[in-house]
Amino acid sequence: MSTVSYDGVSRTYPGNDRPAVDRLDLQIDDGECVVLVGPSGCGKSTSLRMLAGLEDVDAGTITIGDRDVTHLAPKDRDIAMVFQNYALYPHMSVADNIGFALKVAGVGKAERMRRVREAATMLDLQELLDRKPRALSGGQRQRVAMGRAIVREPQVFLMDEPLSNLDAKLRVSTRSQIAALQRRLGITTIYVTHDQVEAMTMGDRVAVLNGGVLQQVDIPRQLYDKPANVFVAGFVGSPAMNLIRVPVVPDGVRLGDHVVPLDRATFARIDHNPEVILGIRPESCRTTPQDGPELHVRVELVEELGADAYLYGTAALGSDRHTDIVARIDPRCAPVTNAMVRLTVDSTQVHVFSASSGQRLSS
Amino acid sequence: MAQTHQSRCRWNRDAVETRVFGVLRWLVIAVLVLVTAFPLYYMVMLSLRSLDQVVLRPGVLWPAEFDVSTYVSVLTSVADGGQGFLVFLRNSFVIAVLTVAATLLAAIPGAYAISRLRFAGRRQVSALFLAVYLFPAILLAVPLFVFFARIGLRGSLVGLLIVYVAQTVPISIYMLRNYFETVPVSLEESAAIDGCSRFQIIRWISMPLALPALMSTALYVFMIAWNEFLFALLFLAEDRDRWTVSLGLSQLAGSIEIPTTVLMAGSVLLTLPIIGIFFLAERMLVEGLTSGAEKG
Repeated sequence: MSTVSYDGVSRTYPGNDRPAVDRLDLQIDDGECVVLVGPSGCGKSTSLRMLAGLEDVDAGTITIGDRDVTHLAPKDRDIAMVFQNYALYPHMSVADNIGFALKVAGVGKAERMRRVREAATMLDLQELLDRKPRALSGGQRQRVAMGRAIVREPQVFLMDEPLSNLDAKLRVSTRSQIAALQRRLGITTIYVTHDQVEAMTMGDRVAVLNGGVLQQVDIPRQLYDKPANVFVAGFVGSPAMNLIRVPVVPDGVRLGDHVVPLDRATFARIDHNPEVILGIRPESCRTTPQDGPELHVRVELVEELGADAYLYGTAALGSDRHTDIVARIDPRCAPVTNAMVRLTVDSTQVHVFSASSGQRLSS
Repeated sequence: MAQTHQSRCRWNRDAVETRVFGVLRWLVIAVLVLVTAFPLYYMVMLSLRSLDQVVLRPGVLWPAEFDVSTYVSVLTSVADGGQGFLVFLRNSFVIAVLTVAATLLAAIPGAYAISRLRFAGRRQVSALFLAVYLFPAILLAVPLFVFFARIGLRGSLVGLLIVYVAQTVPISIYMLRNYFETVPVSLEESAAIDGCSRFQIIRWISMPLALPALMSTALYVFMIAWNEFLFALLFLAEDRDRWTVSLGLSQLAGSIEIPTTVLMAGSVLLTLPIIGIFFLAERMLVEGLTSGAEKG
């Protein structure tokens, strides 16, 4: 168990001009679980593989505990990794797969078997110890891969999309198992995923990356409530936040026929820019008439999910400007397609971002 | 409609093809079996008959009585009046086994390096391996003979061994490289994280997974070394004690006083070990060892 820190770490793949990971700074506390999330090609896997030693580091340093591991071989880093494809050794039984790292480390046979059994019990694999990987189901293979990592009691766990090959139902149950296991073992964990639900549920903190650049690191709640920029705002949350370019008026911003008032601090940060980007979460819209700015929306589609329903429509923003908008509505009084509805926006829940830099302006 | 039309029309394309190919298939198989198996069969039969029988009636396909005395005389040493094939067999075997061992020792790390490591000129190197086979053996034979004679390796099994290894390493690397490339990289990365050094990865992961390829390569090299004739002739012809089986056989065939039955028995002895080893190794040439490594 240890802290992990990235200090200005960069990686540019040969033949590319743009770095895959650009000056990443990230400090991870002892025992913490940090999730790296972002769209494909954002550099999250590269960041993880650099920590594992599977990828060269072009600039910066990576430390585990107080050891500089930037240029150490993977075997000298005392880490364990769960691969997306599990990477089980096909010629070895489950027990040998789990115990392989111990065998390489020269742990005696009796001790090895004891620890393999212990890990197998934790993951409910006792019955499968003599099987070969090809005789296992996807979920079982995933658990063997986990077992291989936990049997080592490493300083750091690395998980590279460990759930993406499981079916949806198994993914949800395995997700909570991994989270529980991580808390019980208290081992520092870095978890890579492209699935924001996984990110929000598994991580003590979540780091959002885009285009090789770290966008924001925070606890899931903060990430959702106070996204640092337009990218994070659009990436976190499903359906995504509505991001609408609106003109600035003397006491707020104009949204359709109404003015959304802004507090003074936010207004000061707008700094005479004529336009800003207004972020409205789907759940900040109401179909029931309330006080606050209203939007006239033509309904294009209503997605019924049982507990919730989502309205997809086009909102008029003035004489000839329109914008797509998503709102969470009560499924019991969902409008029909092509109906015109009035959406009230909760003006205390709006986010304001700079139109030029995309950075958050509201506090 | 379409179905009734089809059943009425008995000579449609599909029916014709099925019938013609049904007959043709067996015909082709029969011809091929005859062409390949008959010489072998005839060889074995000739070796099992006594010489006067063979001379009297060479065309008999199933002899009235079997006679193994030819084999006895072929195998007994020259000192006891035989042909001394036991020594030839031993020589061939020693050379073939040593060639296999030395070739694999060089080819495994070589093939691994070409398939996994990134170094300057990697592609050129792998193309060069096959370029070796652009030259006919006889072109290399004479300079090699002269060279080995100069450094005093003529007439020694060591010299022959060096030539065989040099000839089989490129093709072995080529065969193994293709197989190493099918081993998923993530397995090796996983092993690296589990604490393996590069050599441990080769030993514990790549080699066990490439076992079928290793076996077929070993078999192939063994066959080359066992059957090789030209270099054996050049290097070893002077000293009968060092002859290999194929060399011994051809030397005997050149002399008129050697009966056909003896030659046939020698040929059988040349062939049998290869067939035997092939059947022993066959079960190890299984495919699909890597299944289950990754999500299937």
